[in-house]
Amino acid sequence: MNARLIDWIWHVRGSLALAPGQSSDDAFDRLDPLFRETGTSHERTADTLVFRKKDQAAQDRMSVFDGGVLQVERGAAGSVLRYHLTSRALLFCFLAPLLFIAFGQLTIGLGKLEKSSAESSKTEKKPKDDKKDVEVPMNPIDKALGAPAPDKPKKDGADKDKKEDKKHSPTSAYVFAGIFAALYLVGRILEDRLVKSLFRKKLLGS
Amino acid sequence: MDGVRVGKRLIGTQAPVTVGWENIPRVEGGPVKQFIFTWFQPTVLFALIAFWYYAPNSIAKASTAMMLGIGFRLLLVGLEFAFPRHDSWRLTWKEVATDLFYVGLGYTILRIIDGYIGDGAMVEGIQHAFHWDKFAWFTGLPLLLQAFLISFIFDFGQYWMHRGMHNWYPLWLPHSVHHYITQLNINKGAVGNPVELFLIGLGVGGFFDFLPRAFLLAGAFGMAVGSYQHINVRFNSPKWWRFLFHTTEHHSLHHSQDFEASRSNFTNTYIFIDRMFGTCVDGEAELLGMEGGRRMGIREQMTFPFTEGWKTLKAKFGGTKFGGASYGSEQMGSAAIPAE
Repeated sequence: MNARLIDWIWHVRGSLALAPGQSSDDAFDRLDPLFRETGTSHERTADTLVFRKKDQAAQDRMSVFDGGVLQVERGAAGSVLRYHLTSRALLFCFLAPLLFIAFGQLTIGLGKLEKSSAESSKTEKKPKDDKKDVEVPMNPIDKALGAPAPDKPKKDGADKDKKEDKKHSPTSAYVFAGIFAALYLVGRILEDRLVKSLFRKKLLGS
Repeated sequence: MDGVRVGKRLIGTQAPVTVGWENIPRVEGGPVKQFIFTWFQPTVLFALIAFWYYAPNSIAKASTAMMLGIGFRLLLVGLEFAFPRHDSWRLTWKEVATDLFYVGLGYTILRIIDGYIGDGAMVEGIQHAFHWDKFAWFTGLPLLLQAFLISFIFDFGQYWMHRGMHNWYPLWLPHSVHHYITQLNINKGAVGNPVELFLIGLGVGGFFDFLPRAFLLAGAFGMAVGSYQHINVRFNSPKWWRFLFHTTEHHSLHHSQDFEASRSNFTNTYIFIDRMFGTCVDGEAELLGMEGGRRMGIREQMTFPFTEGWKTLKAKFGGTKFGGASYGSEQMGSAAIPAE
């Protein structure tokens, strides 16, 4: 299978036309500060710059990328800077929904497992004495200030069942799966645009 | 760096910190902005207390609290984007994604684990083993007192757990990961090794019986005070607020790259507990983190306590058992030495 079909998930490619007459040396000199950040190493040859990042700082403007290649290509219409960057953060964000769906499935599985074991032990349980018909106390201060009186406690069994249900609800896992799917889309588009505008600004800047 | 003497300690000899409220900058901007950022915190706190105190039982439910909590957090994220306290703490896509990953762990897998071996399960087990009943008379106390007791008992326990983490190497190992954050943002409180996140969530409140509404009120205290611990927004918090409650300023000092500064302000909500035990320092810091501000990736955050602990064990016992080097000065210089 062609890797390109899927590697767009965490590979960001793009190109920018250089100003007429701008040499590759000049272009890389202008981009140089970006590769002098903490945790970044880079190598430059005539037309190519290869960089790698490790433990990049949070405020590093290219912190989302872990490595990449920038190349200046000369054509009839002028020189073009082509870049190919890789980002593990984008890959993990793309995969994160799967992890959270798995957590959701695990929650459901554990719920089923507990339900079946609880049902098998239910018959052995002794009937409970119903002592729960007592009045719930309320402090006179709260009564005077007009706070609503607390509800009477519900029957033990119903309450516990409800609690168990909540404990085994996969909803939050699915919500986070959705959040990460949306976050991936935002990140893939946003970071692509941000890095392009960052390169453009640096190349045009004095 | 000379540092500032606070009691018997010299704070800020290794990294810049600001000590003393009088030296902390105030919110910049026009009178409307000043007004909002001075009264925002107390207004939210008292509004939440009033809401949970008087809301009818049909509304005063955990689901309402959850929706309010999410809404409040979104509002605070918006404030961070619009009014960042430090540009060097700005939210980026990667920071948001990393922080949310940990928030997600907290709501899913950690919650599952907590259900089996967390404090609730432990308290139930202990009560069952010793045939204890809950301290039921607590439900007769005034609601606000009950709510305060719930949050105070939890914060008191958390204070000692947190202080223990900074003083005992086996506990420091999982907690150290949280100190590798290099900036404060609203969800950074969730960032850390899962072992630590489990430990810090332990409490003894389960031994006592409180009214459900008191728990909702206690949650409101936590939300309206504790949320600001890791926020990148400046507030002109009133004097009484700074005296009673843990602020961003206090917590930034706790995360400072300065070793002595990091050994202060251990509470979550009530800074007066730190004052009681002499560990409170009023001030702030911008340069945060460990190892000169190295940002640790998620993979290393997951494994660091174990790999670092193994390295230490090997260095300590390796000389005799594993044929490695003996525990020496090199190890003492390592990054994961407890902040003692």
